[in-house]
Amino acid sequence: MEKIAENKIIEDLMPQQFGKKGMIWVISLLVVCVFGFYAYCRQLYYGLEVTALRDYVSWGIYISNFVFFVAISLVGSLITAVLRLTNVHWSTPLTRIAEIIAVSAIAFASLIIIVDMGRPDRFYNLFIHGRLQSPIIWDVIVISTYLVISLLLLYFPLLPDLKIMIQYKERNGKWLQKLYVFLGSFWKDKPAQFKITTKAIHILSITIIPVAFAIHTVTSWLFATTYRPGWDSTNFGAYFISGAFLVGAGSVLIAMYIFRTQYKLEKYITSEHFNKMGKVVVLLALIYLYFNINEFLVPAFKMKKSEEEHLMGLFTGEFSYIFWFAISASMFLPILILVFKKGRTPKWAFVAGILVVVGSWFKRYLIVTPTLLHPFLPMHDVPKNYMHYFPSWEEWAIAGGSLAGALLVITFFARIFPIIPIHETITETDTHEKV
Amino acid sequence: MKKYNIIQLLIVAVLLMPSMLMAQDVDKNNLVLTLKYFNDNNKSHHLLVQAKSKIDGKFQQIADMPVRFYIGLEPMVENLLGKGVTNDKGEALLVIPPQAQAEWLKSPIQNFIVLSDGNAKFEEGRGDLTITKAKLKIDTVEGKIITASIIALIDTVWTPVASVDFVVGVKRLGGLLNVNETQTYTSDSTGMISAEYKRDSLPGDQKGNLVLVASVIDNELYGNLTTEIEVPWGSKSVYTTNFDHRTLFARRGHSPIWLEMLAYTIVLAVWSVIIYLVFQINKIKKLGIE
Amino acid sequence: MKPNENSRREFLAATLLAGAALAGCRTNPFTPDEVTDIKPSGKMVKLLSVDGDIIEVDEAFLKPVPELPVVTNSEARVGIPGKKFAMVIDLSRCKSVKKCQTACNHMHHIHPGQNWIKIYPMQDSEKTAPYWQPTTCMHCDEPPCVKVCPVDATFKRKDGIVLIDSDRCVGCRFCMAACPYSSRVFNWEEPKIEKEIAAQPYSCETSVPQKIGTVGKCDFCPDMIRQGSLPHCVSACPNGVFFFGDILEDSVTNGSETFRFSELIKDKAGYRLMEDLGTKPSVYYLPPVNRNFPFEKEEKNA
Repeated sequence: MEKIAENKIIEDLMPQQFGKKGMIWVISLLVVCVFGFYAYCRQLYYGLEVTALRDYVSWGIYISNFVFFVAISLVGSLITAVLRLTNVHWSTPLTRIAEIIAVSAIAFASLIIIVDMGRPDRFYNLFIHGRLQSPIIWDVIVISTYLVISLLLLYFPLLPDLKIMIQYKERNGKWLQKLYVFLGSFWKDKPAQFKITTKAIHILSITIIPVAFAIHTVTSWLFATTYRPGWDSTNFGAYFISGAFLVGAGSVLIAMYIFRTQYKLEKYITSEHFNKMGKVVVLLALIYLYFNINEFLVPAFKMKKSEEEHLMGLFTGEFSYIFWFAISASMFLPILILVFKKGRTPKWAFVAGILVVVGSWFKRYLIVTPTLLHPFLPMHDVPKNYMHYFPSWEEWAIAGGSLAGALLVITFFARIFPIIPIHETITETDTHEKV
Repeated sequence: MKKYNIIQLLIVAVLLMPSMLMAQDVDKNNLVLTLKYFNDNNKSHHLLVQAKSKIDGKFQQIADMPVRFYIGLEPMVENLLGKGVTNDKGEALLVIPPQAQAEWLKSPIQNFIVLSDGNAKFEEGRGDLTITKAKLKIDTVEGKIITASIIALIDTVWTPVASVDFVVGVKRLGGLLNVNETQTYTSDSTGMISAEYKRDSLPGDQKGNLVLVASVIDNELYGNLTTEIEVPWGSKSVYTTNFDHRTLFARRGHSPIWLEMLAYTIVLAVWSVIIYLVFQINKIKKLGIE
Repeated sequence: MKPNENSRREFLAATLLAGAALAGCRTNPFTPDEVTDIKPSGKMVKLLSVDGDIIEVDEAFLKPVPELPVVTNSEARVGIPGKKFAMVIDLSRCKSVKKCQTACNHMHHIHPGQNWIKIYPMQDSEKTAPYWQPTTCMHCDEPPCVKVCPVDATFKRKDGIVLIDSDRCVGCRFCMAACPYSSRVFNWEEPKIEKEIAAQPYSCETSVPQKIGTVGKCDFCPDMIRQGSLPHCVSACPNGVFFFGDILEDSVTNGSETFRFSELIKDKAGYRLMEDLGTKPSVYYLPPVNRNFPFEKEEKNA
């Protein structure tokens, strides 16, 4: 990193007010959110009847969206913890991006699971009647734990930045200033304070890894603890985690590109970052591909009767288009783009990131739905519309609204807090200088 | 405006016509009431009525049909025994009440009548039943032989009756399990039947007791009679349950120990770290305020 | 120590209560030793004896019991003591008349279009014989649905029955995903039920009334069993396909025929569905051999 003056760094990295583009972005997200909320109000009023879910396909895009959110949230632990612990310093500017993606994704994961409930009014039953034997309770425990840890991991590195920002009272305005003071007025840049945060971040980085593994493993167990073809797999935990790391890294690529271009951060999120993240994504895509081969080749080799319909539906049947699209978009194409040096430019990496994320969303859809359309006993004695599934507009609106909501949280976060850690960037530049 | 209204009225009237005609056309379905008499262990006795109707060529059970039970030859107010309403199976039941006493003691042969006034869909109906008072006896003799006999009140004398069909069995949930291959037994001139008990180690209650039942079912003269006796011929039933065991499918608070240990250890470990870190924030705060 | 204590306590409870629960099917209400079994209701009824005397009897000893007391939620969660229910379905007798389904739907006020009993046209492979296979809830001894329920809304009782508490269910539908027999249905909309029925308090034993946003399924009709009757499907079937009984009595009946359960299963080579999954169902099937009628694919009664 070239040497940049401290003042310049602060000037560059301070949160900026929304420009015209920013306003359009926020308003369109708000519109999608409000529309999703309207759809949810309808669902609250009429019941899950408004969805296309029926007795056979009783889980649909809400659950695939939930899995998607949980998957994306894993990125927080990857970038912050894994790379921090392995002493990789190039990732420092990306940590906060990753962490806020994690926080907003996990928050919306818990929201979408409430949306999927038939009786959200009885949500409290999970606490007063919770059964430890149920993987859903495990999920409730690990998700809330992960949310708290992620928030802490967001907060500790933010403290020195808060002090910097409190100095710009004029610029902040009344409300933001109040918020900064509330959150970090006690930070005085004392060495003793730094000692504590450094240690705390270190502890958190270690703690978050098993917890992150736990959330996604437990999420995979919601499926793998059943007998159904396509879910009944010992590979599922690892398969989900590898997929989660991939989609999380893909989403970081997208966020990096957008923040870099919109906030003019080329000096901080450099092409070198895209180069390195690109390599990481290739590695993760290869790992995910490996688990996919395990997940599909092994049962396809045996072709047990119960698995056959399910697998053939994916390979050549009614889901084959989505299946091959998802496989190519989330793995083959990104690998193809990012494996070459020329592909690891910001623009191409951005494209690869979008492919990964979109492909992964459809991959989650394929994990949930086709399995439910292939029960052990044939589908019978139900109305015709119970035998197919295509999400209703309410489902699309609610799922879309939740995605927009997550983006909105990230957007507002970037408006309020420096999306690239100012203090850490300054120290990194200093150490760089000394070296 | 007025004209418009008349046209509207006409349209409504024309539209309504078919349904009005239909309403007049509707024929009430006939109601068939079948009355049965049950003597339960020679102590209490009850009447059962089954309400049916032939609709589209098939007999259907008619629920929610009010019925009245009478004793005697005519359904007079003083002979009214009670009222009932048929259930979902089209059945209504009446335990014979004290007010039947006078009529009951009059004659060895009794008449019962059931009446229904019908309703909007069904015509009124009537069912008649004549029974001769009879009693069953059941006993056992050496060698696991079950004997049962029937006596009927003829004039004023309890007399054994021949040629009555019996079933004999072990009382089980919802039915009688026959004691050997024979399905029915017919009484001889002394009114007796005998059946050999051939069930090997059939589970009884905790002491190994079984309830044997002798029944006469739907007899033209005597109705339904049942009597029973308890015998120690069964094997002791052993009841085991894993209801209170700690299993994955047990209720809350009964999860396996390994699961509880694992879960609580993990939760405790992680949350103590979290709580520790929250205290660290407090420490940073204190350092800042100093 | 603990398991021992438990089993001893259960043994005592079973001794005290053996048979008491099924007061309804006692034909002999007056023998003294039996009177100790049954809890008197305190309400005396006068009636005429066969001999013409006027006698007074506690209502609880009357046969049939006029009105059973309402079973509380905690009683419904434990089940009928000293019983273990099982069903035997004779595939050789089924020709998909669907009376079982109609009766079940009617008695449980199931939402139109949905069924707790399904009658599958089965053909295991191209050259094997087709047959009709009615399925109820299997009331598994190791029920996968109960394993995954987060709130104890579906539970396994002492008498082997798996029930649903629709006042507790949060509608997560994990149990539906977990059940390999597809026996669970969900109330996607407000169930179409007559107002008076919908206004009743929900009972786990009758599964009535079904509630929006919760799961429903076959309940083995414990309310009928308590009255000493058979489940609705059993008594509705004109061909006697369904047999029901208490395994501890080693007997099953379809109302007109009663068999010794162990003999029936042995003689006709009874089996359970998807034994390999380890769910240990309480429903047994008799293979579709020596059928009385040909398999007709036309669903006349659909």
